[in-house]
Amino acid sequence: MDSIEIPKRIETINSFKAQGGKVAAVLPIHYSRALFRAFDILPVEVWGPPEVEASYGGVHLQAYVCSIVHNALSFLKKGGLEIADFILVPHACDSLQGLGSILLDFVKPTQTVAPLYLPRGKRTEDKQFLADEFRALARQLSNLTGKEPGDDKLLECIEREEQADLLLADLYRNRTGLGLDNLSFYRLIRSREYLPAEQFTELAQTALEKHSARNPNGIPILLSGIVPERMEVLKAIEELGGFVVADDFACCGRRLYPKGNERDPFLRMAERIINAPPDPTRGNSIDERAEFLINLAQTYGAKGVIFYELKFCEPELFDLPNLRNSLKQAGLNSVHIEVDIKDPLSNQVITRIGAFLEILE
Amino acid sequence: MSIRAKAESLWNVDILGKNVLAFQRWQAERRPFKSSKWRTDILAEPLRIGARTKELIGLHYLEGRYANGHRPVAWVTSGGPVEILQALGYYVLYPENHGALCGTRRAVVDISTEAENAGYSRDICSYARTDIGSMLSGKTPVGKLPKPDLLLACTNICQTVLSWYRVLAKHFNVPLILIDTPFVYKEAPQHALDYVQKQLEDSIPTSEKVAGKKLEYKKLQQTLQLSKDATELWLEIMGRGKHRPSPISVFDQFIHMAPIVEMRGERVTVDFYARMLKELDERIEKGIGAVKNERKRLLWDNLPIWYRLRYFAEYLGERGISVVASTYTNAWGELAPLIDVNKPLESMAKTYIYPILNRGTQYKLDTMRRMIDEFHLDGAILHSDRSCKPYSIGQVDQRNRLIKEYGVQALLLEADHDDPRAFAEEQVAARLAAFVEMLED
Repeated sequence: MDSIEIPKRIETINSFKAQGGKVAAVLPIHYSRALFRAFDILPVEVWGPPEVEASYGGVHLQAYVCSIVHNALSFLKKGGLEIADFILVPHACDSLQGLGSILLDFVKPTQTVAPLYLPRGKRTEDKQFLADEFRALARQLSNLTGKEPGDDKLLECIEREEQADLLLADLYRNRTGLGLDNLSFYRLIRSREYLPAEQFTELAQTALEKHSARNPNGIPILLSGIVPERMEVLKAIEELGGFVVADDFACCGRRLYPKGNERDPFLRMAERIINAPPDPTRGNSIDERAEFLINLAQTYGAKGVIFYELKFCEPELFDLPNLRNSLKQAGLNSVHIEVDIKDPLSNQVITRIGAFLEILE
Repeated sequence: MSIRAKAESLWNVDILGKNVLAFQRWQAERRPFKSSKWRTDILAEPLRIGARTKELIGLHYLEGRYANGHRPVAWVTSGGPVEILQALGYYVLYPENHGALCGTRRAVVDISTEAENAGYSRDICSYARTDIGSMLSGKTPVGKLPKPDLLLACTNICQTVLSWYRVLAKHFNVPLILIDTPFVYKEAPQHALDYVQKQLEDSIPTSEKVAGKKLEYKKLQQTLQLSKDATELWLEIMGRGKHRPSPISVFDQFIHMAPIVEMRGERVTVDFYARMLKELDERIEKGIGAVKNERKRLLWDNLPIWYRLRYFAEYLGERGISVVASTYTNAWGELAPLIDVNKPLESMAKTYIYPILNRGTQYKLDTMRRMIDEFHLDGAILHSDRSCKPYSIGQVDQRNRLIKEYGVQALLLEADHDDPRAFAEEQVAARLAAFVEMLED
C-alpha cells in the first residue's frame, strides 16, 4: 500500500517555535484551533499519550479514573509538556473537569492552565455561551501573547481551519480509494491533532491526488470510541482481515466540524462545534447517535461496528446498550472491547476482534 | 386527567395511607425505644424525629405510586432546580434518593444486576445502574415508582446525570429538560450565570405544557420561600454538631436529609425540620451526645456508604469517635443565603451553579478546613467513591494537604456509595483501625 510522509509532532512544534510562535497543549476533546492560531499559538493535542509511565498520575488520582487523564497528568509531571506555553483543559467529562481543577489548585504547572466549558445542548443559548467562553479564552491568550487579533484575522484563521476540515472530510469520503492501510490512514487523520492547518491541507491534498477507485481491502468495519490507542490495533485489524472504512472516534470522526455561517467569529467557532457529528460529551441524544452510526455504516458499507472503549469512560458506557440494540435492529453486528491505554495491546483484544471479524465474514 | 386515578389516589393516599402512616408514627413515638440491634451502650437512642421521617418518606413514595393519571410527574436530579416544578404542582421523584433508599435496604445488587444484564457496565455510577435496573425490571423496595411525564437533569452535581437521563428519556420517550451549569473552577463568570438563568426561563414553557397549566409568579415565590426556610433550618440543624457532645452525627444527618433533597419547597418539610431542630436543642440541654462517650470528632467527606451506615456509626462510636460534620450534607444547606424570593430566576441561577460538587478542588479543601475549625474536629474520613468522580477527584491532594498543612489526621477510604460489591470489608477495617490508632497518638 502507498504511504505518506507525515511530519513528526516534535519537529512540527520545534519548527513552529523557531518562527516565533507559541505552543498550547490541549486536552480532549473540543475547542477552536482557529482561536489559538489567531494568537500565533499552535495547539497540540494530548490524548494520553499512551506510552508514558502512568504512576506519576497515580500520586494525584484514584485508580478508577480513566487512563487518558492518568497518562496526561503523568506526561505533564514527567516534563512532557514543558515545551508548551499554555495548557487548555476542555470540559469533556467529570474526569477531565477534575484534572483541570487539580492542575489549577494543586499541581500548578508553570504554564497558564485554562479550562473551557462545553455546553451540553445545541440551543441558541448554548451557542451564545460557548461563544462567550471563547471570548474569555481569547482574553487569556491575549494576556499570554500581547496580541489582539481583530475579527478579520479571526475569520481568516477560521476559514483556514474550515478548509482543512473540509479536506479531512474528503479523506474520509475517499477512504477506500486512497490506497492507505488502516494505520497509515489514521496517522494521516490524526496529524490534524498537531499540524498547522496549512500543512495538514497540503498533506491531505497530496493524499487525495493519489486517489483512484478501489475496493476495501478486507471486511469493511466501523470503529467507535474515544481514541484508537494503542494504534497498533489498527494494524492488527488489518492483519485479521478488517478494513476500517469510517469511524465515530472522539478524536477523529466526531470532530468533522462543518463550515460555519455566522459572521461574528466567536459565534462561528461555537456554531462549528455545536453542529459537529453527535457526541455524548456534548449531550447529543442516544437516538441521534444511533441514527448517525447507522447512516455512517450504510454510507461506507461497513458490515459491523467495533466499540473500542476506554475503561471507566462513563459518557461512552451509558450509551452502549441502546446503541448496540439500534444497530442490531438495523442488521449490524457490533462488539464492545474495553481497553486501557496504559496497557499494551493485549492478545485478548486481538482474539476478540478476530472472532468478531470471523462472524462478519 | 383520569377521574379513576384521582379517586384511587384520594382513597389510597389521602384517606387510607395518610392515616395509617400517621397512626404508625403516633404509635412509634409513644413506644419506649427497644431494639436488640441498636448499640445503646455506645450510641444515644435514635432521634424521635425518625418516626416522622419514616412517615414523611413513606407518604412521599405512596403519593408517587398513585400520581400517574391525575398529577404530572417529573424525575429530577438531586441538585435540580425543583421550585418551578413544585409551583406547577408536579409530583417530583429523585432517582438518586430512590437509589440511596435501595442502598440502605440492601437491594442494590439485585436491582443493579438487571441493568448489568442489559449491558450497562459496572463502571458507571451505582445510583444510575440501580435506577436503570429498576426502570427495566420494575423492582423497587417502595412498591412502585410512577412513570415520568418530564425529566429534568441539572449538571451541577456531575455530567453523569445527563448520560443517565438520556437513557431515561429514550426509555420513557418523554421530554428532557437540561439545565447545564458550567463548572465553577474559581468564581462563576457573569456569562455562566446568564446562561443558567436563560435555561431556567426556557424550561418554564415545556414544564407548563406538560403540566397543562401556567406558572404563577406568586406561587413560585412562595415555593422558593419554603425552600429557603427548610434549607436554613437544615443548616441550623447541622450547626448543632458544633456542640460538645454533638447531639447529632452525620449518620443521623444522612438518614434525615431525605426531605431536604426530595421535598424542598413544601410546607411539611419546613415543619419537619423545625421539629427536628427542637429535638436537638432538647438533647443539647440534657447533654445527650449522639455518641455517648464522645472523645474525638471527625468530618465525613463525599457521599455516605449507604449500606454500611450502622457499621461506621458503631465501629467509631465504640471508640468514642463521633462523626459530626459532613461536606455532603452541608451542601444542602450552605446555599440558603443565595435564595432571594424577590429575584426568583436570577437567584436560582446562582444557587444552582454553586453547589460544592460543581466547584473546584480548592474550594472543597477550603470547605473542609473551615468545617474542621468551626466544628473543632480531630480528623477527616474522605470516602473515595468509585461512583462519584467529581466529588472524589482531588481527594488525594486534599487528604495530603489536610495532614501536612493543617496537621489533622485524614483517611482516604475507597468504596462505593451504593454498591456493596466495591466494599472490601477486611481492608476497610484494617485502614479504619490504623486511622483510629493515629487519632489517639
